[in-house]
Amino acid sequence: MASSVELSPFFQQKKANGLIVVKDPPKFDLESYISNYDGATRIERLHHIGSTSTYLAVDAYRTAIAEAKRGKSVKLYLTLVEEFANIAPNDPLALVDTAWAERKTREVKEEQDKLEHELKSYKNNLIKESIRMGNEDLGHFYYACGDYPNAFKAYTRMREHSTSSRHIADMTLLLVYVGIAQKSWISVGSNVAKLDSLQLKGDEKTKLEPIASAVLGLSQMCGGNLREAAGHFINTSPIFLNLDSAAGIVWQREVLSANDIAVYGGLCALASMDRSELQTHVLSNSDFRNFLELEPHIRRAITLFCNSKYSACLEVLEGYRTDYLLDVYLSRILSAIYSKIRTKSIVQYFIPFSCVTLDEMANKFQLTGEYGTIEEELEDMINSSVLDARIDLVDRLLISPQTNPRYNVHADALTMAENYDHTLRLRLTRINLLSAGLQVQPEKAQTKEAPHGLTEGIGASLRGLGSRILG
Amino acid sequence: MSSEQLLNLLLSFQPDAPELRQKRDYDSQVRSFVNQVANIPGQHYQKGADTPQDVLELLNPEVNSIAYIYALHARIFGVGESKQKGIIPEQLRPGGSIWNKMEDFLQRFDPVQIRYVGSEWRRLMDCIERIARLMGVPGAAISPIRAGLLRLDPLSGTFTITHLQFIRLCLETRSYTAALPILDNYIHSLPNTLPSVIRENLEYSVPGANHTNSGEYIHVRSGHTEKITLPDIQEYYVLGAMAYIGVHQFKKAMQFLEHVLVVPVSNNSANGLMLEAYKKWVLLSCLANGSVKAPPRTANGAAMKQVRTASRAYEALAEAFAQMDNLPKLKAQVNAGKDLWAEDGNTGLVRELVDQQLKFYVTRLSRTYSAIPVLNIATNLSQTVEQFTQYLEKLINAGELNASIERTNKGQEMVVLRFFLDPTEGPQAKTETQQQQALFEQTQRTNLLAEQVQSADYRLGLTKEYVEYIKRQNKKAATAGGDTMDTTWDDGMEVDEDLMGN
Repeated sequence: MASSVELSPFFQQKKANGLIVVKDPPKFDLESYISNYDGATRIERLHHIGSTSTYLAVDAYRTAIAEAKRGKSVKLYLTLVEEFANIAPNDPLALVDTAWAERKTREVKEEQDKLEHELKSYKNNLIKESIRMGNEDLGHFYYACGDYPNAFKAYTRMREHSTSSRHIADMTLLLVYVGIAQKSWISVGSNVAKLDSLQLKGDEKTKLEPIASAVLGLSQMCGGNLREAAGHFINTSPIFLNLDSAAGIVWQREVLSANDIAVYGGLCALASMDRSELQTHVLSNSDFRNFLELEPHIRRAITLFCNSKYSACLEVLEGYRTDYLLDVYLSRILSAIYSKIRTKSIVQYFIPFSCVTLDEMANKFQLTGEYGTIEEELEDMINSSVLDARIDLVDRLLISPQTNPRYNVHADALTMAENYDHTLRLRLTRINLLSAGLQVQPEKAQTKEAPHGLTEGIGASLRGLGSRILG
Repeated sequence: MSSEQLLNLLLSFQPDAPELRQKRDYDSQVRSFVNQVANIPGQHYQKGADTPQDVLELLNPEVNSIAYIYALHARIFGVGESKQKGIIPEQLRPGGSIWNKMEDFLQRFDPVQIRYVGSEWRRLMDCIERIARLMGVPGAAISPIRAGLLRLDPLSGTFTITHLQFIRLCLETRSYTAALPILDNYIHSLPNTLPSVIRENLEYSVPGANHTNSGEYIHVRSGHTEKITLPDIQEYYVLGAMAYIGVHQFKKAMQFLEHVLVVPVSNNSANGLMLEAYKKWVLLSCLANGSVKAPPRTANGAAMKQVRTASRAYEALAEAFAQMDNLPKLKAQVNAGKDLWAEDGNTGLVRELVDQQLKFYVTRLSRTYSAIPVLNIATNLSQTVEQFTQYLEKLINAGELNASIERTNKGQEMVVLRFFLDPTEGPQAKTETQQQQALFEQTQRTNLLAEQVQSADYRLGLTKEYVEYIKRQNKKAATAGGDTMDTTWDDGMEVDEDLMGN
């Protein structure tokens, strides 16, 4: 079964396009994993897993198609079925349920008309609250249909009819929510910033803060700013774990779960912080500990890194590579995060040594397939000045260069003095010329010509000089 | 006038006379003496020529320099007139009796006296150059002219037209090394046009005073030079840079060209010499640093932009030079622009670029490796091990590479290039004493420069423009009632010297 899935046209094409395809079975169980999520993210995650893992593809697509049929988005259903038909053409679910699709399209159209009609009548009545709710309903409807741009527009229209700061907060949260679905991280970031400026008080504030920091962390991580992302994730309050719905959205189920925060935060921190920072900000952070407890292996990896057991740490992370590749947000930047952790481990590992054999390095840090040999990887790191070392290809050693601060200070002082000296001379020359009233005068004959002719003019006037010099 | 009278007159000025200790007295004495000597008709000097009674034999060029230079000119004129036109008399030719006298004089004259007879000094220089050229041996003039320049001003730091003539001669004869003693001296002053009130009748300002800066006695009215124009100065620097290129001192050549690039520009338009300089500068910057730096900040931005648009090909070449992982690219670029380099007269420099790229490539390896089998590098460059080992040994022996070649015998014969990690080891190493010496020399250069800057500051302070500026400032201060800005910066210099002295 698995091999036929692997050879299916869908995955063959993905491979040809250089996209991520995972063959190994992940450590998690699909059903229990997906049961953590609700709403749109559920289908999205299933879709991602199905289209990435050859092992889980069939199960994931089946669940996703069944799920999609319960929803309103005909387009999503059709995409899923089409892709599934490319994977397992003989599966009963791989056939398009045309009757359902037609019926659903009609229903959706009717509902849209109804909602728009309602909104119109609210507008005629000029009751602000009704108009706001009408827009909200329309937004929800568009969202359910998978029409995110229109949902965003509908939610934005709620602003002018909002009467309390609570309404504004809800609207902003909805915009953030749509932003996440659209994966437009800049708009997510700016809307979260708006939440901050609302000056909410008491309960409202404590309730929104963990959501804001978790979402901000997500948007920073997807934008590649690992250090900022780590900062937001590890400062997320544990209230997030059992938060009520905000703006009608249960964030820890419909966007990202507490487990996700633990994994994202832990990985981002590993990739961007040094050992003492990890110790103080992550391991001894009582808030983040609540999250880490959910993902003990991340905790173990961080502990191992702090205890300088880098190869063990990398081994743990490698073990979960498949799982993380199946995560809808992590998969795209996972290799960047992993290679950052790896290079950091190599640098940290090498610090106490004056010299290590290359074989030992290769042993400690198993190759990940990115480079052919450990030499090449180290070479790259040295060339990009991440690692301060030299390679001895003859005795196969990695050597830490000796430093001679006294010599260097002398040499630097000398270069600096020479540079200043020369700069001063240039300036004095210029001042002398100015005080003697000498400066380049534009030649009248040349100013008439076009800029193109100017260079030729210069060249011509020089040719005489050149031949004289050479003659 | 009898020859005795003549001799008495010529010897009447003795620079060491006790009554001339005061510089002002010396000054007035010299001036009247110069007037007298200049009025002696030329034929008086001809008496007793080529006999022991010859004035040129009786006068001591070191003591009676003023008298001697007039006598010399009269003799040259006399000899030249008696013969046919267009033919140089035997005595004047290099090696002839009068030529030898001129050469001797230029090495020994009293520099203080010659400050008063600038135009005679200049005529002598011209004369030597002309004779050498007409005789077809321009090289013969180099050493006397150099001696004359350095005798007048040991630092040859005030620009004269003779500087330019000298460097032209050197380049024509390809005597680059001969040019270095003059080129190594920084041009710190240009002949100025200070009003005579400041120069005359003041104890410390007369030409005979003990000046530290040659700009005080070589100026527009002293006769040592003709009027200087901007292209003259630029040409001097461009030609000087070419001489440095000739002796492979790329860094100095590059710095010389920067003097051409920073010239003041009106109307934001560069001139041809700047373009020429920029093209060479790009190439030299590669040879000296391995890549192109930004042009000096003092240069006019718009003019720089102009010359850069006109030198795109050179910048592309520099870019290819810096790409160490793509060595063939440079060769391709060089071939593509062959005609252009030839037209600009830069073919030699471009060829140098190709030769030197390998050196930078190997040097860059030292940042990654401490030891590497020569075989690995040679394979990368598709050369044989023997060939490349020879090349490396040449570099190491020339002190251009801080490494050594080892031959090991582990299983199979292997040649290894081993870089020295510690900067105090290997052929490029410097001991602490050497470093200290270098720092010490730099301190002296900086102190000298500080003096030159101060004297430039002094000269600027005497210009009409500055006086007017001060007037305006004072008026402003009077109306605003605030303090004027402190423009003296001697204190700053003191701190600097202290830092360097440590």
